[in-house]
Amino acid sequence: MALSAFREGHIDADGFGIRYMEGGEGVPLVHLHGAGGLRLTPAHELLARRFRVVAFEMPGFGTSPLNTRTESMPELASTMARAIDKIGLDNFNLMGTSFGGKTALWLALQATQRVLALVLEAPAAIRQEGAEPPAGTPEEIARRLYAHPERLASIPPIDPALRAKTQPLVQRLLGPHRDRDLENRLQDLSTPTLVLFGTLDRVIAPAMGRIYKDLMPNCHLVFVYDAAHAISTDRPEAFTEVVSDFLERHEAFVISRAETVIHP
Amino acid sequence: MKLSFFETARYQAPQPLPSEWPVPSGSYDPDAGARAYRGMVERLEFVEELGFDWVSVSEHHYSPRILTPSPIVSAAFLAAHLKKIKIALLGPIVPQSNPVRVAEEIAMLDTMAQGRLVVGLLRGTSNESLTYDLNPAEARERTDEGMELVLKAWTEPQPFGWQGRHFRYRTISIWPRPLQQPHPPTYALGTSRESCEFAARHRLGCGVSYGSFESVGKATRYYREQCAHHGWQPSPEQIIYRANMLLADTDDEAQESLRKLPGQAPFAMRPGVREAMMTLDSRNIAGEARAPIVSGALPTTFVGSPDTVVEQVRRCREVVGAGVLDLSLHPPGSGELEPLMRALELFGKKVLPRIRDI
Repeated sequence: MALSAFREGHIDADGFGIRYMEGGEGVPLVHLHGAGGLRLTPAHELLARRFRVVAFEMPGFGTSPLNTRTESMPELASTMARAIDKIGLDNFNLMGTSFGGKTALWLALQATQRVLALVLEAPAAIRQEGAEPPAGTPEEIARRLYAHPERLASIPPIDPALRAKTQPLVQRLLGPHRDRDLENRLQDLSTPTLVLFGTLDRVIAPAMGRIYKDLMPNCHLVFVYDAAHAISTDRPEAFTEVVSDFLERHEAFVISRAETVIHP
Repeated sequence: MKLSFFETARYQAPQPLPSEWPVPSGSYDPDAGARAYRGMVERLEFVEELGFDWVSVSEHHYSPRILTPSPIVSAAFLAAHLKKIKIALLGPIVPQSNPVRVAEEIAMLDTMAQGRLVVGLLRGTSNESLTYDLNPAEARERTDEGMELVLKAWTEPQPFGWQGRHFRYRTISIWPRPLQQPHPPTYALGTSRESCEFAARHRLGCGVSYGSFESVGKATRYYREQCAHHGWQPSPEQIIYRANMLLADTDDEAQESLRKLPGQAPFAMRPGVREAMMTLDSRNIAGEARAPIVSGALPTTFVGSPDTVVEQVRRCREVVGAGVLDLSLHPPGSGELEPLMRALELFGKKVLPRIRDI
């Protein structure tokens, strides 16, 4: 399906008006965006061929009003859990990107029974010491986020004003580079989890991936070659293939189904 | 200066061979092959005694010119027979290999050889893409990705999947890991811009071969510039120059041997294949296009008496910056062993001691 076939919807949760984009049919896949806000990418379109994709704009991001109310990541996660309720999704797959990866982890801890599987795209819940979010001009930010800026033509450019508006919220909720409370809880989270890092990530060191794998009892780590922090924009086809396979087969996704017969 | 001897397993054909590559398997003589590998060990024991630091092996297929299609097998065999010398695996042709297997085998051999391994990773010469049906247009990309995966397999402590462009694995977690940590000294081999940039980005060494000092010097200069760009400087030992050397008692004798060298490599490809390969395979030196070497003779850049060669090595050090010379002392493909042994002895006595401090 084309991106234009995504429908825009609005619901209220915890007193916030929340916008979302929805496309596709099948098992629901909820997406929580990164610090840059909701931007539909070719990966959303590819995922919507197999899943009912619901991509939220979290309160305070994008064109939504300034969010001075949410105090912590667990609080944001619980707001998003209510938003998911409002859409009527009982069980769903959950995907979080960067900042939204941490939201997704808290949401999975709060609503463990409802989350079928968890996908974390370059999650920001664990960061190397001194990790700095991308800053500067839109071009400078793009250079930090993407290995293949030439692919950006397909999605709208970053709006510096919107970005500036959400910075205080991001700073307030992101937490320390190592969040002991969260990490302790992750040891009991047995939700099938896929952690993806691009080999060229210049925001969060790909080596952080192994910490999730080490902490979480049912975690799989995949490196996406030649992708930077925004994996799903740099290599949407590669990203979608492994994510879809994982969501459909969970840990059995390690068993290859690739056919190698050249001619019968 | 460190010295490496490039070992090619000298096959002495009992009867004349067809001259086209691939050379028919049926013309191979098993006893001659057995003699070649036996002779290899004897020769290398001598090489070790002379004080060479490394012996290097390479991957070439379908001809007796260099009788080592599997460099890892050569390296394992040599590591078991030789005591101290380092074994330089220069190296597996990455785009036609399974990179995980390459990482495993090197880790295994580095451990078996008690950390005596040196590794070079490369795209391979043009003709090698015919060996396992590699599309030359994809070779560069497969090399870069494969090399990156080898490094990741050596160093990533948790099982991981690789969602590549040319390689895909869901589970990688190699045992053993290399004895030398995080991995053996590793070089990206080649003069291309891509190869130099890869080496600089991953803090690897750089290996260049055969071209004139000026020509390979362009590549090593570019490599050092790229290293500086990534905030580091390579040591001289991180640059290898592989070259042919014709050494004799006098300059005249050496020049005479040079004149006798054939104008093209033994076992050339059929002209139609060669021409097609020339257009399909794109090569460069530090970004400047160069013609692929397809069936042409490789230049000999060190020629002369010991005094002359010592001066050439000095100049090479200045121009190329290499701290490791990887030498062929007699044209590979030649079954003549006696001149090779004479050159080796002369090199060990009259050249090696004088170039150590260069």
